[in-house]
Amino acid sequence: MLPISYSMGNVVARPGRSFVMIVVVALVVVACSLFLGLLSSLHRTVAMTGDPMNLVVLRKGSDNDGSSQITRLAYDSVRYLEGIATGPGGQRRVSPELVVQPFFWTKEGGRENVLVRGVEPAALDVHGDVKIVEGRMFRPRLNEILIGKALRGRYRGAEIGQRIEFGRNQWRVVGVFESDGSSFESEVWVDAQDLANDARRINPFSGVRLRAASEGDLQGLKARIDADPRFALEASRETDYYAKQAETAGSLEFLVVAIAILAGTGAGFGAANTMYASVQARTAEIGTLRALGFPRSAILLSFELESLLLSAGGFALGALLALGLAEVLRRVLGGVSFGARTFTTNLVTLSIAPRDLALSFALSLAIGLFGGLGPAWRAARLRPIEALRKA
Amino acid sequence: MSYLGLVLANLRRNRLRSLLTGGAIALAVLLVCILLTMPAGLDALLSRLSNNTRISVVNKAGLVYSMPYAFARKIRALPGVEDAVGQVWFGGAFEDDGKVTFPNFAVEVDHIETVYPDYGISPQGLADFRRYRDGMIVGRETMKKYGWKLGDRVTLRSTVWPANLDLRIVAEIPNDRSPIAWINREYLDQALKAKGRSLGILGIVWVKVTDPKEVNSVMLRIQELTRNSEAETSTQTEKSFFSAFFGSLEGFVTILMVVTVLVSLCIVFIAGNTASMAVRERAGEIAVLKAIGFRRGSIFSMLIAETVMLSFTAGAAGVGLARLLTELLRNAAAGSPQLGPLGGFIVNQAVVVQGLLLSLAIGVVAGVVPAFGAARKPVAQTLREVF
Repeated sequence: MLPISYSMGNVVARPGRSFVMIVVVALVVVACSLFLGLLSSLHRTVAMTGDPMNLVVLRKGSDNDGSSQITRLAYDSVRYLEGIATGPGGQRRVSPELVVQPFFWTKEGGRENVLVRGVEPAALDVHGDVKIVEGRMFRPRLNEILIGKALRGRYRGAEIGQRIEFGRNQWRVVGVFESDGSSFESEVWVDAQDLANDARRINPFSGVRLRAASEGDLQGLKARIDADPRFALEASRETDYYAKQAETAGSLEFLVVAIAILAGTGAGFGAANTMYASVQARTAEIGTLRALGFPRSAILLSFELESLLLSAGGFALGALLALGLAEVLRRVLGGVSFGARTFTTNLVTLSIAPRDLALSFALSLAIGLFGGLGPAWRAARLRPIEALRKA
Repeated sequence: MSYLGLVLANLRRNRLRSLLTGGAIALAVLLVCILLTMPAGLDALLSRLSNNTRISVVNKAGLVYSMPYAFARKIRALPGVEDAVGQVWFGGAFEDDGKVTFPNFAVEVDHIETVYPDYGISPQGLADFRRYRDGMIVGRETMKKYGWKLGDRVTLRSTVWPANLDLRIVAEIPNDRSPIAWINREYLDQALKAKGRSLGILGIVWVKVTDPKEVNSVMLRIQELTRNSEAETSTQTEKSFFSAFFGSLEGFVTILMVVTVLVSLCIVFIAGNTASMAVRERAGEIAVLKAIGFRRGSIFSMLIAETVMLSFTAGAAGVGLARLLTELLRNAAAGSPQLGPLGGFIVNQAVVVQGLLLSLAIGVVAGVVPAFGAARKPVAQTLREVF
């Protein structure tokens, strides 16, 4: 066996050539990480919304709360059910909610549907991850609103103390909330009755969100709500509900795979070129090694190792570049907007997750492995006498 | 020996290297071409869905906010407007689980024909739609999905109005882009009146403009008409209306462009590496060429020509391959709705030109530094190094 330091020495010996391969792999890694990051951020934003102990209760057949309406009677039938968790003051953790999708006007003058959620103060007991990070809770009947963090700066007036025009009124922003990057952050929260008045809704609620006291209670509540013949309601676990909303078109994933394969193969060719040149330049050296008694396998392994080291270096550089570029894009673009199932805008913050980097790492190793295979094979098959003669 | 012959011979000297470099360039150009089709493909998809003389009018507050019924009549009276049809979301569910599986609207039946002349609905069907209160026009996609035929009777249960309507299918929209269904507004109104309610509102008005050049002025006139009324309106062309349903894609397109630039850079490095290897190996030869009287300019052009020829040939292959691939994809997409959106991505002439220019540019950029270095190096020094 040749020591690893031999391969490492070769990497350093010809810095120009090594640099080219590292840069090529790095660029492929940046391209793939960015795309993977975009997909996973999109998925994370929507699918990571909700709490596994919460139930979403909607009209049977509605697949999102934008297309559901329930009566006050239906709400009453749900709110006093057994098995609903209670807060420290004994209040039941039940949140009746009205969802409306009015137009918001972006600073550039475009119109976008934004999800506005009419709630009661109890909403904060049910949606545990939603926290007001600036300002205060809205007061009812005053047209005051809370905005999700992601809306800030995107729409006209989306700042604390300013007024946003939507629906039939102007609304004063009194607070900003966060929810660990989930899609709630792309919403506006407002008093349910204020919103029902503005939208002239007869039924003041789209649905009910409630928190179960235990897993057993959740199953029991779901069974009872689904089976009640009077109101035709349907309950689903909140996390399942959002996972369903996140089912994006397969086309995007197809695109990323195609990019990875094409760019990876191209980079593999480039890597092979570098390694062939490396073998050629060291023909005499390889002959000497063989003459000294190193077996073919040792030569093969050492060149493979060199190629893998180079591609790993390329990954390291690419990962750094990708993380930096993602930060720049975040600053420049802010949230990347995507249409959701409800036809409302979801603002996705681009970030590259460890999993995306791991996949890019696998890709760069594959480039090194397959790019190095041909040259390493050629080096291993060199006949010692001929190789030495060339020197 | 002609210059061309020399260049070709040099390219053939290390075939494997030329092949690998060419392969890398071809693949990358292929990728760039496919990425370049995306923005245009999305745009083409929208254009196919929409008509350039149709505009939408909705309440400025949002799609779920309604407008007074009289708006449609007032809009029809505006100059430049050929006709307009007011529509209301019926939200009818056909299946037992109450899911709305295709969009359905209650419309003013008399105005469908003039607003949607491009839909190709049969004259008989349109006449029947006007004649029978319970008539319904259904898009072919939905007809196929449920195996419905003309004359079939179906019941839709509204998810927004207290009304279940028995309907008869009188016509089909004979194109695959529309799963939509239209029912008679009067029929819904009667059903509601029987329950003590009435319709009285519009959700959206689709306006057909006489002249495509008039679109902007008509949009302004409509906004003017409704200013300071109880419902101000927002107007959009059909294309921008549909594009909103795809969500805004500006962020996605930006990242697409960033990736395209990265991949192009990647090829420059690969091709540049190859060029510099070639120059290094042939240092002695180049010195000899100079010694026997070749000018620097000729040496420089010859080396650049080598890189450019390689990258242009490979790039052209990549462009051709991209064209072939998208063509195959389009044929595949025609038969499968799942791949449907991918069918819109076509390597058109603009993309072909861009791809070829890119390969040319790559050749020049990658070749210039090594070629310049080789051409400038003093003969004596090189010869001394080599021999």
